[in-house]
Amino acid sequence: MDMRRQLALVLAGLMLAATLYAFQRGYGSIRRLFPESDDDSPPPGAEQKTEFYFARLRYPNVRATGIWAMRGSWTVDYPKADRQFLQGLIRLTRIQANPMERVVDLISDDIFNYPFVYVVEPGHWDLPEAQAKKLREFIDRGGFLMTDDFHGTFEWELFTASLNKAFADRPIVDIEDNDPIFHVLYDLDDRVQVPGIVNYPFHKTYEYDGIEPKWRAWRDAKGRIAIAICFNMDQGDAWEWADNPHYPEKYASQAYRTAINYILYAMTH
Amino acid sequence: MFEFLFNYPLSVYRKGTLVFSSGWSAALLAAAVIAAAAGLFWLLRRCRLPGRRLLALGVLEWGVLALLLALLWQPALSVTVLKPQQNVVAVVVDASASMGLEQRYQQARQLAEGSLAAELKKRFPVRLYLAGDTPARVEKLPETPEASRTDLGAALRQIAAESSMLPVGAVVLLSDGADNGGNLGPETVEVLRRARIPVHAVGFGSEKPERDVEILDAELPARVLPGSRMLLTVTLRQSGFRGQTAKLTVRDGDSVLAQKELRLPGDGETWRETLALNAGKAGVRTLTIAAVPLAEESNKRNNALERIVDVRDRKPRILYFEGEPRWEMKFIRRAVEDDEQLDLASIVRTTENRFYRQGIRSPQELERGFPSSVEELFAFQALIIGNVEAGYFTPAQQTLIREFADRRGGGVLFLGGRAALSDGGWQRSPLAEILPVVLPEKKGTFRREPATVELTRAGAESLITRIEEDPEKNVARWKALPYLADYQETGAPKPGATVLVEAVPGVRMRHPLLVTQNYGRGRVALLATGGTWRWQMAQDARDQSHETFWQQLLRWLSGSVEERVTLLTSRQTYEGGEAVRIRAEVRDRNYLPSTSAVVSVNILGPGGVSDTLELSPSRTEPGVYESEWRAPRPGSYLAEATAREGLEELGRDTVTFRREDGAQEFFRTEQNRELLERLAQQTGGRYYRPSEAGGLAKEIELSEAGITVRETRPVWNAPAAFLLLAGLKTAEWLVRRRWGAV
Repeated sequence: MDMRRQLALVLAGLMLAATLYAFQRGYGSIRRLFPESDDDSPPPGAEQKTEFYFARLRYPNVRATGIWAMRGSWTVDYPKADRQFLQGLIRLTRIQANPMERVVDLISDDIFNYPFVYVVEPGHWDLPEAQAKKLREFIDRGGFLMTDDFHGTFEWELFTASLNKAFADRPIVDIEDNDPIFHVLYDLDDRVQVPGIVNYPFHKTYEYDGIEPKWRAWRDAKGRIAIAICFNMDQGDAWEWADNPHYPEKYASQAYRTAINYILYAMTH
Repeated sequence: MFEFLFNYPLSVYRKGTLVFSSGWSAALLAAAVIAAAAGLFWLLRRCRLPGRRLLALGVLEWGVLALLLALLWQPALSVTVLKPQQNVVAVVVDASASMGLEQRYQQARQLAEGSLAAELKKRFPVRLYLAGDTPARVEKLPETPEASRTDLGAALRQIAAESSMLPVGAVVLLSDGADNGGNLGPETVEVLRRARIPVHAVGFGSEKPERDVEILDAELPARVLPGSRMLLTVTLRQSGFRGQTAKLTVRDGDSVLAQKELRLPGDGETWRETLALNAGKAGVRTLTIAAVPLAEESNKRNNALERIVDVRDRKPRILYFEGEPRWEMKFIRRAVEDDEQLDLASIVRTTENRFYRQGIRSPQELERGFPSSVEELFAFQALIIGNVEAGYFTPAQQTLIREFADRRGGGVLFLGGRAALSDGGWQRSPLAEILPVVLPEKKGTFRREPATVELTRAGAESLITRIEEDPEKNVARWKALPYLADYQETGAPKPGATVLVEAVPGVRMRHPLLVTQNYGRGRVALLATGGTWRWQMAQDARDQSHETFWQQLLRWLSGSVEERVTLLTSRQTYEGGEAVRIRAEVRDRNYLPSTSAVVSVNILGPGGVSDTLELSPSRTEPGVYESEWRAPRPGSYLAEATAREGLEELGRDTVTFRREDGAQEFFRTEQNRELLERLAQQTGGRYYRPSEAGGLAKEIELSEAGITVRETRPVWNAPAAFLLLAGLKTAEWLVRRRWGAV
């Protein structure tokens, strides 16, 4: 090995070490402010049978190899975000909701028992043809899907690549401000981008090139919103850290209100 | 034989009274008979015969003496008879179309203008009458019977009226008794009895139908919503084709709406068939219900009936009130949104003090939640009460809901839920009265447990639950439906309620699930679950069972709700000359009977017929206005009523009816012997078969009508008396001979 090549290797190694150190340092500081919860024991009342269940979709990941495959993107914010949101849903509405989420997939038929399904990070999903078709059947029967926490052009393309396997017959559109989904309970005319905790200290609220928040939808043949797409925003983090003084209240509040409206819309349309 | 033995027919004995021509009193005769008995006893007591022989001889000899004494008194019958050639006998011949069957008319004509007429004319002047559409006196009978209906009553009344100026001694009625004029009631019989005119009836035609399939009746709802399923119930009768198959068809013009293969039951049996039809698009439909004629059928003109259905394009409004967000609400809304005939408005309590309204017509509508006024609630035709406790409604609102069903005639559907029925305290509310079940007095009746469903026998027949055309497949389809997400115990159904579907949560566990009943002018249903949404989510997206069920249930609930003005006719079809009875039920703004309305009816008919009439208030029923009208020509008629109170129009309604001439003549064509016998018996006449009609002339003589005379007819010289005398003496001789005394 000549000198130049050895030098290049050393430099590369130093750069990698420096990057890892910087990442570790920054992430660690966020984690000190927003510590992961390791309490995933069922909350009180989880065993009761209720009208409404918050169902989280488990899906195959585009990077489902190596260390990324150990957990998968579908688990992001799970289960604290779900449970913390459900506390708000139960307290603020008359919906008889179960305080614990349920996990569903597109392999078994269990999803048909849960007409409202939440999916996080669909910018990393990779639905096989059969699962995409099952998702379409779920929607066609009357199910409702809420997507959240994916950002920028790259993730949008991954999201639509899977979706278009079964939903290409109608376009994805922006939801108008006067749509009932923004007024079922709360009037959400003035909406802001809800950032994830990676944006701490929230000087900027977007990730990648997802600068502008988009409230989009795939509507069914009757014009009803069947897939509510929260793009370039992160409601899940807002629910998860709503109890944390470092997470701004205005984002948490909007995330709760948005999801409550979406669920009420799903239960009435 | 009777006449030979007793000198006169039995009828003379029936009508006459016993008298003695000798002029001696009956008491004297009785005394002589007793004296004869005493004398005999005195003479025979000396004989040394055993007691039994003595008694036998005494009775026989006393019998001879008593008979001789009776003859000595010269018994006779006093009868009232018509004076010869001074009384008219009216011969009424039924000339309606049904007499054309089985040579009935030809037989009647032979009697009326042949043998019977000759016999009658020996004693009486004879007048011929025709009974048909209208009674008429004729000199000669027509060749064929062509009257489109049989009005025997009108002919008899005319003769009774003529009897005030003309001595009518009797009526001879030649008919098959298939009266459809409606004038042969007790009033006509009373008129005849007052005039003392006996009606002697000669009956024609077989008394049982022979080789015939007949449609006796067909029932359809008069008004339905476009696209609705409607149930047709056909009543049939057959004779002579037992075990064979026939086909029942329902046509609208050239298109066949439904058909069914029939297995014919026993001869003479009447049975019912039901068919489910789709009402199709809006408009007035004339449906032809027909049993395809079989070969060798004696009467093929009674195989079809026509019925009118008014498929009315209206959109009843339904108000759905839900106490909390539930999947059931979403899926009910989705199930009926494609139904162009249903308009569903809904309110759901999203939070403790917020409502979410859908299907409203203005931002102000239902702004304060569930209506509190008649104007607001009664604007709807049906009401769904979801998962909400009884106490949520004020007492005034609870009364309003009851009045909605009772007075308004609306439909009310109660759903199951964790705050519904017994778990919501409904069993102790005033509204428990309108529920079709007796709710149990306990909590915890609502269970979020799976339950499959099964149709009851009534459910298998009902159109609400018909999600498959074929009734058997429908029963199987219900069993195969995905389980409900939840169910609720309802308690026992009330008398008069109908359980259509049962929830089956486990082996040997059954609870009424869908129960219906009428309440006041309205309808009430209970569906004890909030979990039919699984029928949508757990089945293929193309499956329509959930949608079909909900559309049919809500159409049943709201589709026949009457508005402020309801126009009715007594029947759908009328014969020429018959009065069409028109009746309007009118309600005021508050749906209370309106007694001060002005109700006018415009009638349009075939060939430019146009008429207007004003209905009169009924003397017995408040809010009811009625009148009679006669359709001038055959065809379909449309009547529209407009009711006003002062300058305010209360509402409008339409009804359709038809005039069909002669159609009834070919139904129930067997001889109605019972009617003819009853008529004869009630007026003092007799029923005859055509073969017995020869004796009519003598019988007619014995009448109290017209110009009569009292006659005394001796009976002492009747052969029977002498035969009896000879018989008594022969018996005595035989007895004595047996004892060895002769």
